[in-house]
Amino acid sequence: MVHPDSLHYYPGTLGNVPVAVNFHAGSHYTALRLLEGYLPPEKIQVVHYGSPQHRFEALMNREIEAAAVMEPYIALAEKLGCRAVCEGHYLGAENASDDMDEDTFNAINRAVANAIDLIDADKRKYLHYLIDEPRFAPLAAKWGGLTPEDFHLPRLRYTKQAPYTDEIVEDTYHWMVRWNLLNQSVCATDFVDNRLAEPVSASADD
Amino acid sequence: MKKVLSETNGALFSLPWLVAKDYGFFEAEGIDMEFVDTPVSGIVEHTQDPEKVNPVLAHTPFEEGRVSIYRA
Repeated sequence: MVHPDSLHYYPGTLGNVPVAVNFHAGSHYTALRLLEGYLPPEKIQVVHYGSPQHRFEALMNREIEAAAVMEPYIALAEKLGCRAVCEGHYLGAENASDDMDEDTFNAINRAVANAIDLIDADKRKYLHYLIDEPRFAPLAAKWGGLTPEDFHLPRLRYTKQAPYTDEIVEDTYHWMVRWNLLNQSVCATDFVDNRLAEPVSASADD
Repeated sequence: MKKVLSETNGALFSLPWLVAKDYGFFEAEGIDMEFVDTPVSGIVEHTQDPEKVNPVLAHTPFEEGRVSIYRA
């Protein structure tokens, strides 16, 4: 996103312009994936600013021209006149420790899947969790507040858990190696262990 | 009830987990779910070199074995 006074309207003008991200996190990877469609790699300048709170504040204070943020920061930024010059989505992951047994993991996934059904049936009903989140609420209050009506609901995408496919793992691995974010002396399958992961397609009552 | 500790690092990514707890879905599965917040990162050095930033980021509760699951 860019601040309200910015002269940037699409990603192609962001060459050699610092963009605030959180390194090794979704904002970092998504910013690279979006910008590389418009700019040669040597003109992409992503800069580590840490948490979304700091990225948002840096943007609003004109400390930086552009920042990669997610909801609810997008909704708040748009309410304040900021512009999204590009948008992307990425796949989340549930990461369990070695001592997590299969029955527990599957029970957790069924509970989460039931919650996803509720959320997808009426997303606006659950936005108070995002608005009232302790790390976000003070920031929102400082910048004029945020209500459920301020959100663009299609941005919020909650789908039931499924194992990463080999194709996704391989494609992501090669992309990360190309950006020097992974050591290519290790192979893609070293990073994902799907032993406990099974697609969740039924509720606990089925 | 099986006790499980999970990291939360913001409501956006944890929303289904927060709803599952508040609406009793974990309890119905025999899971006593407890959430542990990730630490606040605070002010960081602004760098363009990813190698200068620890990729573990704020997931220290998981890395230290204090929780058994997290999402990112």
